[in-house]
Amino acid sequence: KCPDPKPSRLLSSNYNLTSRHARTQAGFNTGRFDRRYVHTHFSPWRSIRSADYEDPGGDGRVFNMNDGVEQFFSNCHNFSVDAIKANRAGDLVITSSFWRTPTSILWSIADDEFKLKLRLPDVTYCEFSQTAQDRLLGTQNECATLFDINTGSKVASFTPTIPNLYTKNRATLCRTDELILSDGVLWDVRSGKEIHKFDKFNQCISGVFHPNCLEIIANTEVWDLRTFHLLQTVPVLDQRNCTFSPMHVIYGASLGADRDHDMETTTYDTSFNVLDAYDYSSIATIDVKRNINDLSVSANGSLIAVVEDYSGYESKQETYVKIYAVGVKKSERSEEVRAVKELASEV
Amino acid sequence: MSHHYVVTAQKPTAVVACLTGNFTSPTDLNLIIARNNQVEIDLVTPEGLRPLKEININGTIAVMRHFRPPDSNKDLLFILTRRYNVMILEARMVNDVITVVTKANGNVSDSVGIPSEGGVIAAIDPKARVIGMCLYQGLFTIIPMDKDASELKATNLRMDELNVYDVEFLHGCLNPTVIVIHKDNDGRHVKSHEINLREKEFMKIAWKQDNVETEATMLIPVPSPIGGVIVIGRESIVYHDGSNYHAVAPLTFRQSTINCYARVSSNGLRYLLGNMDGQLYMLFLGTSETSKGVTVKDIKVEQLGEISIPECITYLDNGFLYIGARHGDSQLVRLNSEAIDGSYVVPVENFTNLAPILDIAVVDLDRQGQGQIITCSGSFKDGSLRIIRIGIGIQEHACIDLPGIKGMWSLKVGVDDSPYENTLVLAFVGHTRILTLSGEEVEETEIPGFASDLQTFLCSNVDFEQLIQVTSDSVRLVNCATKALVDEWRPKGDRAIGVVSCNTTQIVVASACDIFYIVIEDGGLKEKCRRTLAYEVACLDITPLDETQNKSDLVAVGLWTDISAVILSLPELETIYTEKLSGEIIPRSILMTTFEGIHYLLCALGDGSMYYFIMDQKTGQLTDKKKVTLGTQPTTLRTFRSLSTTNVFACSDRPTVIYSSNHKLVFSNVNLKEVNHMCSLNAQAYPDSLALANKNAVILGTIDEIQKLHIRTVPLGEGPRRIAYQEASQTFAVSTLRIDVHGRGGAKPLRNSASTQAQNITCSSNILPKPGGGNSTAANAEVGQEIDVHNLLVIDQNTFEVLHAHQFVSPETISSLMSAKLGDDPNTYYVVATSLVIPEEPEPKVGRIIIFHYHDNKLTQVAETKVDGTCYALVEFNGKVLAGIGSFVRLYEWTNEKELRMECNIQNMIAALYLKAKGDFILVGDLMRSITLLQHKQMEGIFVEIARDCEPKWMRAVEILDDDTFLGSETNGNLFVCQKDSAATTDEERQLLPELARFHLGDTVNVFRHGSLVMQNVGERTTPINGCVLYGTCNGAIGIVTQIPQDFYDFLHGLEERLKKIIKSVGKIEHTYYRNFQINTKVEPSEGFIDGDLIESFLDLSRDKMRDAVQGLELTLNGERKGADVEDVIKIVEDLTRMH
Repeated sequence: KCPDPKPSRLLSSNYNLTSRHARTQAGFNTGRFDRRYVHTHFSPWRSIRSADYEDPGGDGRVFNMNDGVEQFFSNCHNFSVDAIKANRAGDLVITSSFWRTPTSILWSIADDEFKLKLRLPDVTYCEFSQTAQDRLLGTQNECATLFDINTGSKVASFTPTIPNLYTKNRATLCRTDELILSDGVLWDVRSGKEIHKFDKFNQCISGVFHPNCLEIIANTEVWDLRTFHLLQTVPVLDQRNCTFSPMHVIYGASLGADRDHDMETTTYDTSFNVLDAYDYSSIATIDVKRNINDLSVSANGSLIAVVEDYSGYESKQETYVKIYAVGVKKSERSEEVRAVKELASEV
Repeated sequence: MSHHYVVTAQKPTAVVACLTGNFTSPTDLNLIIARNNQVEIDLVTPEGLRPLKEININGTIAVMRHFRPPDSNKDLLFILTRRYNVMILEARMVNDVITVVTKANGNVSDSVGIPSEGGVIAAIDPKARVIGMCLYQGLFTIIPMDKDASELKATNLRMDELNVYDVEFLHGCLNPTVIVIHKDNDGRHVKSHEINLREKEFMKIAWKQDNVETEATMLIPVPSPIGGVIVIGRESIVYHDGSNYHAVAPLTFRQSTINCYARVSSNGLRYLLGNMDGQLYMLFLGTSETSKGVTVKDIKVEQLGEISIPECITYLDNGFLYIGARHGDSQLVRLNSEAIDGSYVVPVENFTNLAPILDIAVVDLDRQGQGQIITCSGSFKDGSLRIIRIGIGIQEHACIDLPGIKGMWSLKVGVDDSPYENTLVLAFVGHTRILTLSGEEVEETEIPGFASDLQTFLCSNVDFEQLIQVTSDSVRLVNCATKALVDEWRPKGDRAIGVVSCNTTQIVVASACDIFYIVIEDGGLKEKCRRTLAYEVACLDITPLDETQNKSDLVAVGLWTDISAVILSLPELETIYTEKLSGEIIPRSILMTTFEGIHYLLCALGDGSMYYFIMDQKTGQLTDKKKVTLGTQPTTLRTFRSLSTTNVFACSDRPTVIYSSNHKLVFSNVNLKEVNHMCSLNAQAYPDSLALANKNAVILGTIDEIQKLHIRTVPLGEGPRRIAYQEASQTFAVSTLRIDVHGRGGAKPLRNSASTQAQNITCSSNILPKPGGGNSTAANAEVGQEIDVHNLLVIDQNTFEVLHAHQFVSPETISSLMSAKLGDDPNTYYVVATSLVIPEEPEPKVGRIIIFHYHDNKLTQVAETKVDGTCYALVEFNGKVLAGIGSFVRLYEWTNEKELRMECNIQNMIAALYLKAKGDFILVGDLMRSITLLQHKQMEGIFVEIARDCEPKWMRAVEILDDDTFLGSETNGNLFVCQKDSAATTDEERQLLPELARFHLGDTVNVFRHGSLVMQNVGERTTPINGCVLYGTCNGAIGIVTQIPQDFYDFLHGLEERLKKIIKSVGKIEHTYYRNFQINTKVEPSEGFIDGDLIESFLDLSRDKMRDAVQGLELTLNGERKGADVEDVIKIVEDLTRMH
């Protein structure tokens, strides 16, 4: 092995924003450092709370993001909604509830109204297909089913020959809709054939495709999609769901919906990780000091929304959505505002 | 809607790649240079480099490489653009005309792939079987080469290596084999992959070497029969071929990284290496003959000397090499076999490079309404200021040292049959000298008929082979052949002649208030008329308005006292028109002239200003009075002819050429400091030339046909970052970065540079406490360690001498500066922002804003205030200091106690890197969060966020075009315009800044400044443009963005659409694709911007193509809509080109 060179002034000057800024102007490639820098700060931007304190659960509510005002709502399920997904156009929403009678329902949202379009019984989790968004991929335990979005008819079903039986299986499509990953098994959508079954390293998380369509991230394991080799292990992602940002970072959070509904066994994990989607290196860990029920990234990656669950000893449980502006530092002022608001809500 | 015209005034100058090969023919040695979107093809000749052709590519060149197909004796060019277009080009020489043919092209982008962050890499198999590229994370893209295919198709192979630093093909392998430097958690490794071209997959790993140097960055494949690869690290060099391994750590390597190489010999034993310090090295491979063939025995590295900081190097021939640079001038250098002062490098020629343009100041030092651009150009040791102005250039051919010239005329003496002039008459106080031009020789002579003991007022060839000399005493008529005096005219009573003018048949002479009209006859002078005017005559002119005539019907006179221009008719000298010029400055020079069939009277005053009128040839009536400032000193007007058009030369401290284009007068600067006298000269050795006299010398030279940019370089020897102009002290302030090296006695500068050679040097004593006791690089530095030393330079606006250097103590870094008048304080200050940059911290925690006063050659610190971060931008804001500090925008007021006091503060940015202000409005450009418009509410003393562009954009520069329109440049080389929607009905809509115009420039704009390259106050606005913003880019280009009205936009857009179809670009990339606005995966068509570079290429088309281009195009002329013809369009496009 060669000896390491002495530290270089030129190479180290990329880390500090001020020296980097000068290098950027001089034409040096600094984008990676700026991207990482931006994803170390998250400032609360808006809080969205339901006005209805006695919310029994199961409602879908639509809020104006800019002022946090609730626009309209509908009772979608009898029990709490565990997952919600919208299509890119924003006119379709799919809600899933898996408590007692698992159902996913596709709603069209127009004229300030939820209109039921499809009811998919026994589907505990459902997502839109990625390219045309004309299909739905539903998860029923270890099985994955593709539905036509207009007719609701089953297009194809994918049941593993030897199931892994992940407790929280979430079937998912890759960015090109050519592959499905469900219960740790990779399928070719067109032929309907099983391609590969990945080794099972954890009980819960079945895995997601990296947007580069080259890798699969299942809990802490990163698998090569072509060779099926284990590329690397990312310990910080243990029991965390991955959400990808178009700014090439991965948000890892342990979501409430994945935890048991039994409060006793719930581990209080109040932070989310930010990882570099290029090499899985850690960028930041952000502690929101609340349980995280869900995390979503805006289309352009500049905002993230976190469903935070607040349950203290002396106050009653409250769940709200907090939207964070990526890159913006928490200012003292906004901390104050938050403290004041929270005080008001607790009284 | 929002409509803009964007055009390049100075093409990008940074060299991306260069290479040498046989392109134009098997025997021609060509140098190929790639700059941004251009490829230059040069021929290497014994006399030097000869440019053959320049081609434009509709894309930004990312990689350019060459290869030779196995069955060919010529090289081909491969180009990969930033937007993944690929092309293979061939240069063909047909009848001495070079055409560049696109042999194959294609697009190798992948919709799913994530672009590799380290930049793209491309390499070509030495047997030209395949091209390999690293474009996307985790993928290796190959293009198998098929000789006949015209489309280049790519296949992506999975590459396990995540962080790839370099890829090359190995020589002498059965199958194409790539070698890769990559990094994982353990370090950097070198690995080879064999490619199966049929199956399009990697086959096996031939060999690998784990754990090479942790900063190894470059691979040099060694040609057969040796083979193998050289791995370049920062401190070490390794040769490896799978079995044989040699390493060396040259002591001469400094801290800097080797960033480019050139192979010298085809046997692959010698290589040139260049590093970011501008050091050139030669690497030798020693070989030995063994049973296995030729193998490498040892590696030697020798330091050759200093060059420009290279981006690429190519070896030409005979010891000559070309250094392509992006941080300084590119160079042609020669390698000497013997060292001179320890250096083997002899610079031969420098090629101007403005890149990177980090800041610009636009100043109008001449107060002509014409901007000069002063750029902060280049980095490190190659840093410089560049003074850029547009104007007409004089190519100097000869210079004669002769001080004190008072007048100058060229004559044809004794040579009847020759069209050339051979004599130059020079007037001095009290005497006259005559020079004969024979060939290039100049010698003094005499004309017996001339009075040589008097100062000549006028000299001319006149009719009947005669000469005229006018002195204060008399008018002398001399025979051209005999050179003897023929006749002499004196004013009655031996009064002194004051001013005089003549043509070939007529003379007018004035003595005080009297004016005489004399006619030149064969052998005699005849006084025809005499008249006394109301006031003394200051200047007069009798130039015929009709060029075909040799006599004039009018005399133009400028008068003292009542300051008027008077037109007299001939022969009676009757006053037919009087025009009072306003003011008290007397006219010094008056001239009647005809441009493009329109008659003008020009009248220059003693203060350097000039009135001009349209003149009626019959009545002498003057109309359309206009005034223009040409200089600051008395101005003399002389006509000359160049390329068969009439031009007027205004001699003054700011020499100007006046000509007409499309029936409008154009005033163009001349690239000379001062011209006191001039005459046109058409001598045998100096045809179509001008003789120009200043205080000390006569210059003989020719004049450029059109105006163009002139660039002057002020080398600094250190990197300039920011510049500000201060009129009050007639200085510039420039912040620079110098690199010192720690020796035993502390840090010492590496070389002499602007800050070490300043007239005065002071050092910042007020060092801020280190935050958290942080380890400053200066405190515990080891010997040999480099440290950044920031300097504030005060530079004279005329001489560009460094008057003062104020040095900051590392790690204090200057981040921005400006000149400002603050509050009621009468002084003008330099405001300088600094911060403590600790490399290990993500951003500085402490900085300061310092107020300096430069006065009486002294720089005094007046005040300072501490800030909690880096102040990236400073703007004078209604007498206050507006600062973008980290995530804050803050306003400081200047108190009567001369202190900065924070007035208000807003934090809603990631980093407020760029600020511009207009009225109460502030435009902020953020690191990632695009642009935000703030308003300062003066009464409440607060900032309010008015609106924001919600789409993330990594900003690089911002500018306010007008109250509602905002221009931005972002990091992918796109320009966009957002507009405030004041008519919006909801608050929500009002808070948005919708993006109304977008354009892909293909180069990153670092700085916008309002200003114009051409004179603005002339009142002859030829095109309906509104405002003018200049920009400077990362690749050294300068350009213009201006607003245009909708109808003009529609017309130009129509022309653009037609030109896109007619002009076929090399490489076959669609213009529409090129100009698409693309950020990550978001692609939108360009709109709201007219591509001026495309529009102006209309003028290069053949007449037929022009006709095709205007077919069916409609335009509105004088409120009337009609079909455009070629002439109309030429006129409009020519007018547009006149902006730069």
